[in-house]
Amino acid sequence: MSSGTGTDTARLGPRGRVWVGRPSAGPREAAAWSRRQQLLTELRAIRGRAYPRIRGLFREKSWLFFEILLPFLSTSAFVFVYRALAAPAEYVGFVVLGGAMTAFWLNVIWMMAAQLHWEKDQGNLELYFAAPMNLMSVLLGMAVGGLVMSGARAVAVLAVATTLYGVTFSVESWLLLLVVFALTLAALYGLGMVLASLFLMWGREAWHLTQLLTEPIYFVSGLNFPVGRLGLLGALAIATIPLAVGLDAMRQLAFRGAPSFGTPQPEIEALILVGMTVVFLAAARLALRILEGLARREGRLTVRWR
Amino acid sequence: MTTLPTPSTPHVDPGRVQSGGLAEAARAFLAAVRLGWATEANWTDPFLFFVYSVAKPVSAALILVVMIEIVGGASGRELRPYVVAGSALWSFVVAGIAGLAWSVLDDRERYRMLRYLYVSPPSFVLLLVGRGTARLAVGAMGAAITLGIGVVLLGVPVDPARIDWPLLGVAMVGGLAVIVVLGILLAAVCLQTRQDSWSYPEAVAGSLFLVSGAVFPLAVLPPPIQLVGLATPLTWWLAGVRLALFPDGPTAVGGPNSAWSVLAGTPAPAGPEIIAALLMTGALATLAAAVVFRWSEHRARERGLIDQTSGS
Repeated sequence: MSSGTGTDTARLGPRGRVWVGRPSAGPREAAAWSRRQQLLTELRAIRGRAYPRIRGLFREKSWLFFEILLPFLSTSAFVFVYRALAAPAEYVGFVVLGGAMTAFWLNVIWMMAAQLHWEKDQGNLELYFAAPMNLMSVLLGMAVGGLVMSGARAVAVLAVATTLYGVTFSVESWLLLLVVFALTLAALYGLGMVLASLFLMWGREAWHLTQLLTEPIYFVSGLNFPVGRLGLLGALAIATIPLAVGLDAMRQLAFRGAPSFGTPQPEIEALILVGMTVVFLAAARLALRILEGLARREGRLTVRWR
Repeated sequence: MTTLPTPSTPHVDPGRVQSGGLAEAARAFLAAVRLGWATEANWTDPFLFFVYSVAKPVSAALILVVMIEIVGGASGRELRPYVVAGSALWSFVVAGIAGLAWSVLDDRERYRMLRYLYVSPPSFVLLLVGRGTARLAVGAMGAAITLGIGVVLLGVPVDPARIDWPLLGVAMVGGLAVIVVLGILLAAVCLQTRQDSWSYPEAVAGSLFLVSGAVFPLAVLPPPIQLVGLATPLTWWLAGVRLALFPDGPTAVGGPNSAWSVLAGTPAPAGPEIIAALLMTGALATLAAAVVFRWSEHRARERGLIDQTSGS
């Protein structure tokens, strides 16, 4: 029997008390969740959104071929360009590292940035807005699920290419390298969260934007060469694109003595990544709040195929 | 109670069930092309659309140009026309393959129209090719502008008086046909896979990039992979276009110690050899695509994949 509050979970229990997983005096009290309840719900939302991505990997194995083997071959093409030019060995290492990091970038633009737009087309977005959870949890769940797939791809590209092409790493500081890697992922997925909101507002242009964010970003981020070689353009990329600054820092740390063409020290680049993470997460939170307001006020955001 | 009269002959207009032949196929194809263009482009801001379409191939070419400049310096510049032409032409491959594969995903997962298109009278393959043609046209625009930028800004020497136009024409027609065939092959794959297959066309194009001699000569590759490259029709398409545009440029297929020179005994293939190889490998690719597409279509009907959505 419904309590008449409009919520499905609130039900009249023994002696007229309202139940929401526990007895409460009335709907108002039932709606006032404790911090623990809120936290558990958000964690469930993260798990729930990550689940289909992780589970899907085991249900359909074709991604192993298309997401791991083929991108490895694509990375190999750039290795052979350097071989054709008789480039120094560390340049092959640059390509391999860049090839591994593209997995995360592609995941960010295809499965984070464009995802809310697709969720709208599929009719899920209105459910997200209506559910008693923060949309940030949904985005975090997407990121966790996507990280599993892209992490597998990155490790495979790195391991196979390193073995096959004889890449030798000369790591200056493993700890800093791991910290920079983690910060790069945090900043990348933070950017993905911001883009998810923006793509949703831009509607169908999202489709074209995903195209714009592949090769042009690879170029300005110096995916296959030291980004410092691009001069002012490279400096701008380091200041704004997590892939550019993260890759440059990782290259400096993984290939000691390799040319950096005047880019900042890895420690400074790690600080830039910290700043980016904070800014992107705050911007994502703000953008989602604006979006939620728009969704409630105008109802446009749940209209499909626009 | 009155009973309805039983017709002696079924009330079916034979004209409605018989195929209208080529004219009807052409009408269906044109309708699919218009649908593809409407889905892809006609709603967007023309300037933004132009930027989107051109930025991708131009950036791909610039990545390679910078790589050559960093390592090769002045001595590497002779490779620049080779690389610019290869990456410009490659935008046809990416756009062509993606156009067909994405039309399956678009119509099934996003617009949920694939089931209706499938049961409509025209051939399903014809509709897919029509849908993919719009994206191929966008790829052509990207290729032309990348080549134009190469000529104007990067010093790529294209002399219209020295271009072998017949070879260029035949190679381009054969190459575009091969790209459509590869697109059909990938569309067959996407009929079987989940929504996550959006990135598959890029992955396939990326892997073919390695074996087609798009941006470096095949002779750099290990011999077994060179043989894979020689069996790929895109290799011969690129070689034909390059030979037509830059008669004195480096060869993608031949060269010292290349698999071609060992097998054929000549330093590099000439125009007729390239066209013959393009036709032969293209015919094999077409046969493979036809078999795989028929199998995929049959399996999709059997398992209800045509109207399945698989959001993740």
